[in-house]
Amino acid sequence: MTATESVSSPAKVSAPAIPAAKRFLRVTHLLFLATLGVQFLPDHAGITDPHTAWLIGFVLLLEVLTLALTPVFKKKESLNLFLDVIGFIFGFLLLWTLLTAKLSLLPTALFPPFGKVLSQFWEDAPKILVNIKSSVGIILQGFLLAIVTAIPIGLFLGWNARLGSAAMYLSKFFSSIPPIVYIPYGIALLPSFRSVSVFVIFLASFWPTFAGTMSGVLNVDQRILDSAKVLGVSRPTMLSRVILPASLPQIFLGCNQGLSVSFILLTSAEMIGARDGMGYYVKYYSDFGDYTRTIAGLLVIGIVVIGVTFLMGKLQGYLLRWKR
Amino acid sequence: MSTAVQTVPKIDIRHLTVNYAEKNREFTALRDVSFTVEEGEFVSIIGASGCGKSTLLSVLEGLYRQAGGEITIDGEPLTGTGTERGVVFQHYSLFPWMTTRNNIAFGIAQVRKDLSRKERLQIADTFLEKVGLGEFGSKYPSQLSGGMQQRAAIARALAMDTQILLMDEPFSAIDAKNRIVLQELLLHLWEGDGTEPRKTVVFVTHDIDEAILLSDKIVVLTAHPGTVAEIIPVPFERPRDRAELVKTPEYGAFRNRLLHLFYQDIAERIGGEEVIL
Repeated sequence: MTATESVSSPAKVSAPAIPAAKRFLRVTHLLFLATLGVQFLPDHAGITDPHTAWLIGFVLLLEVLTLALTPVFKKKESLNLFLDVIGFIFGFLLLWTLLTAKLSLLPTALFPPFGKVLSQFWEDAPKILVNIKSSVGIILQGFLLAIVTAIPIGLFLGWNARLGSAAMYLSKFFSSIPPIVYIPYGIALLPSFRSVSVFVIFLASFWPTFAGTMSGVLNVDQRILDSAKVLGVSRPTMLSRVILPASLPQIFLGCNQGLSVSFILLTSAEMIGARDGMGYYVKYYSDFGDYTRTIAGLLVIGIVVIGVTFLMGKLQGYLLRWKR
Repeated sequence: MSTAVQTVPKIDIRHLTVNYAEKNREFTALRDVSFTVEEGEFVSIIGASGCGKSTLLSVLEGLYRQAGGEITIDGEPLTGTGTERGVVFQHYSLFPWMTTRNNIAFGIAQVRKDLSRKERLQIADTFLEKVGLGEFGSKYPSQLSGGMQQRAAIARALAMDTQILLMDEPFSAIDAKNRIVLQELLLHLWEGDGTEPRKTVVFVTHDIDEAILLSDKIVVLTAHPGTVAEIIPVPFERPRDRAELVKTPEYGAFRNRLLHLFYQDIAERIGGEEVIL
């Protein structure tokens, strides 16, 4: 072994330690103090906000969490990113408080004080959880069903050159139909809202995943295929140990696309005809003019989608850890 | 090495012709190529780019179909790929999604179904040790340098313990310094300590020094279409030592002879076509 041959291993490069002053003296904390301080200003004439304590509690909790997590970050870039995001949240809360309770520049009915939204969260938590469970359950069912069918079929058809090119055209046709238009047919076909939703989510996830798998298989580097062929691998081994992992990056592209379309579809569908789910929650309360709950629902949907995307990203990072 | 007279050569290539189609036109890549490779012989195929040397190896690998002629291995006609032939490519011999040791264990699994996974990994580690990659078994190919990837590819081919080793410009993409290190590694691994029979190797290269150092016999191809210009036995004793070998006047003379063959071919073509060495 010669010394000139080096291993490129990013994990081994240790980041220089961040000085404590750079770690803890940040604009984010100034924004925290400003957001906290502004809560103690008198409310605008004619407005009484009994929920200020909620906002103060939340802001304090967020700041404590931020300080607790600050030492965890090893790299300067990720610490900056984390603190910037928190800073944006403080800035948003500061602005919201000023524009609503303190200056009353926005109509109170449409823009409730944020403390009220937070207290509503707490009050409605069980209800919200039921709705999240319903939405996420439908998504998971439809999405997983799509994954376990689209990937094997895509692998098989992609590997059979002749059938594959015909299937590619068909998939282009079917994936060009917005899955939402299947809803009326689904309702006629299937017994419950839940089954219709699963069906539509399945269709919405199936085509992108299928197309991703197909293009993954068709684009596997010929040199990799040759390398496998000369090892004399069997057909099943070729598909499972060579073609599948080689196609995985493209498969994930398709899956992610399917997943984001699924959320859009499901929340839309829930707003039309459901008795459960996050879309239903938002639509139901906005019909009553209860915009506190509407805003709470919007934020919950955001958090759920971010959470699911994050988990998907983690899974992708793990399964594709071999990529540079 | 003195060529022992055998009834059946390990690899026998007779009147091989290979065509390839490009933009609806058919080209002749190789025409009437004949030579033999004896058991335990190290044969290099050299020639300028476009002489069809890699195509020839693809046919031997079973990846490319011949248009005419006959190839036999141990007297049996060649049909497709086979696990009696191990291959090291210039790129992508290893699967990027498997760690180095899993790559080797995967190769072993294709030829030794009887071994347990644990046993295969043990063999993999032994061979990683042999090529100087003992500490890198858990790395993915993308975490290794090009030279280390080729070491691992050689380790896999050796671990599979195939009778024949086909190597398609395995060191061409490696920097000059590491290429020398890898050539010597291959030389030592192949020459062995005399206790085990040597493997039959067909080695494609455009590096004349590499061919002389490693081979028992050199097949020089000329291009357009690829034909055998000359088959030259390498007269130097084994075990070879590069530093000693290059000092001898015989080496210089032999090298000049090969260079002459190489450039004669190019000089003949230089009038019309662009030449890429």
